[in-house]
Amino acid sequence: MDVFTPLITAFDLPFMARALLVLVVLSLVAGLVGVLVNLRGLEFISDGLTHAVFPGVAIGFVWGGRDGLFVGAMAAALIAAVVLTVIVKRAVTSDAAIAVVFTAMFSVGIIVVSRETNYVGQLDALLFGRLLTVSPAEVNQTVIVCLIALIMVGFTLKEQVFRAFDREGTVAAGYRPLALDIVLNVAIALVVVAASSAVGNLLVLAVLIVPGAVARLVTNRLWLLFPVAAGFAIVAAWVGLALGYEASVNGGVDLPSGATVVLVLVAGYGMALVARLALDRIGGHHRTRRAVGQLAEPVVH
Amino acid sequence: MGYFEQALLAAVLIGALSGLVGTLVVLRQRTFFAQALTHATFPGAVGAAILGVSIPLGAAIASLFIVGIMTMIGRINRQGNQVASGILLTAGFALGVLLQGLNPSLPVKVDSYLVGSILTVTSNDVTLVAVVLAFAVLVIVFLGKQIVFSTFDANGYRAAGYREWPIELLTLVLITATVVTAMPAVGAILAIALIAAPAAAARIVSRTTTQMFVIAPVLGAVSGLVGVLLSRSLDVAAGPAIALAAAGLFMLALVLQRLAGTVRAAHEADARRALRRSLRLKA
Repeated sequence: MDVFTPLITAFDLPFMARALLVLVVLSLVAGLVGVLVNLRGLEFISDGLTHAVFPGVAIGFVWGGRDGLFVGAMAAALIAAVVLTVIVKRAVTSDAAIAVVFTAMFSVGIIVVSRETNYVGQLDALLFGRLLTVSPAEVNQTVIVCLIALIMVGFTLKEQVFRAFDREGTVAAGYRPLALDIVLNVAIALVVVAASSAVGNLLVLAVLIVPGAVARLVTNRLWLLFPVAAGFAIVAAWVGLALGYEASVNGGVDLPSGATVVLVLVAGYGMALVARLALDRIGGHHRTRRAVGQLAEPVVH
Repeated sequence: MGYFEQALLAAVLIGALSGLVGTLVVLRQRTFFAQALTHATFPGAVGAAILGVSIPLGAAIASLFIVGIMTMIGRINRQGNQVASGILLTAGFALGVLLQGLNPSLPVKVDSYLVGSILTVTSNDVTLVAVVLAFAVLVIVFLGKQIVFSTFDANGYRAAGYREWPIELLTLVLITATVVTAMPAVGAILAIALIAAPAAAARIVSRTTTQMFVIAPVLGAVSGLVGVLLSRSLDVAAGPAIALAAAGLFMLALVLQRLAGTVRAAHEADARRALRRSLRLKA
């Protein structure tokens, strides 16, 4: 069983175990939040949020090092999520405006980092994470932030799903879509914060959207989407970490761990896509009839 | 021409090109697509640097792949364009980082592909931008009417006997070419600001699409110019400075629109009050 031993032995090392722990926690949240992102079609908004959190990360980092990074990111995330929700709600702006505003914020972050004298390498770490050097304190922060996001979305899950499929129905039933949107956007922003030290600001988007997209390919049953997404993310994280470890220890190739995990996620998506296409071809017209309990297309507002 | 003058020229040309093509992006609502494309050219550029071929060439080849895959995923049931863009976007970053990690001896700093380094553009880069700009201007001048028609009324366009795919293909080619040529200057992450902001600002201030096609390139060129000058006087990176200049113009347009709106509202209120008063006097 030569192929599979690295899947276990690699995690005897404490830093590998920490990396795995961080990714597993992130995966659990991604299973919940990511599926909602997919159902609501919030991929673009999520991308905007990752960019919007970046100046907070940068300013926090310049001001107080690794601890400051966390505080700054938290503040930026909360502000960005609320502002974004209001902007989208008032519909004064288009996709272009969102892209412009958040790229501008990203630019501010870059300028703040680039003014630092010892900026070489720092930018890389902020953008792409340093999965293998997360400290125990950072693991705790990640777990707590993820837990908050999980609780926020977990307690409103039924309403969020309702909102995804029938906005008018949600309003008519007495829920407030704006509040639900703020809860979800803040949760997305919290995932961005939680992931920023481990996978970095640019790769966190993969954690948010790939598992949800895979789940949609795998199953049509709504309540299966969440465990499938989380399970897929965990397996991908595990395999990705082991692969990176194996490559650098035995292959002598220094794979960046965050990027490896993301590419394993994407490769998994590719396989799911091909499998789904093949199944659809075999299944033919059976698939066009929608059985009771299967998932209709959510309405994107 | 010194390197600074060359950088200024490059910034102006790239700004104009981005503004012009950005108008198509904004009108056709392809912002997220363009953003995914800008991000996904990153691995192409890193690959090109590793192989020692021209950066825009590598980015262009990567873009071809990406557009192909994106079109394919976009057609699949339950996936759609946003998912396709998002996944390719993040895959592009990961692949770029991976390629960089595999080649630590890379002479060029990879950061510069992310945020651009306009001070190091070559005269070849500038020539390339000029050629693409000329092509884009020709397309807009001769085919602008068809493009606008198909953008605003796809059904009418088909009913009038035109076919849609040549226009779609043409706009894709233009967007890709712009993204690829803008990348050395403003980088993979920030290019979208230069593409979307001038066009979005132009959309606010102009009354017709023709005006948009004129105003957006001008605003883009101004962003490029202001950004490079600011970056020198304030000693900050040029790419972010250009992106911020473009975003600033967009904000300015928004504020102007609001002011014009309040002025108009005040006028209307005055007029109503005057009318009421005259009615009262008569009674």
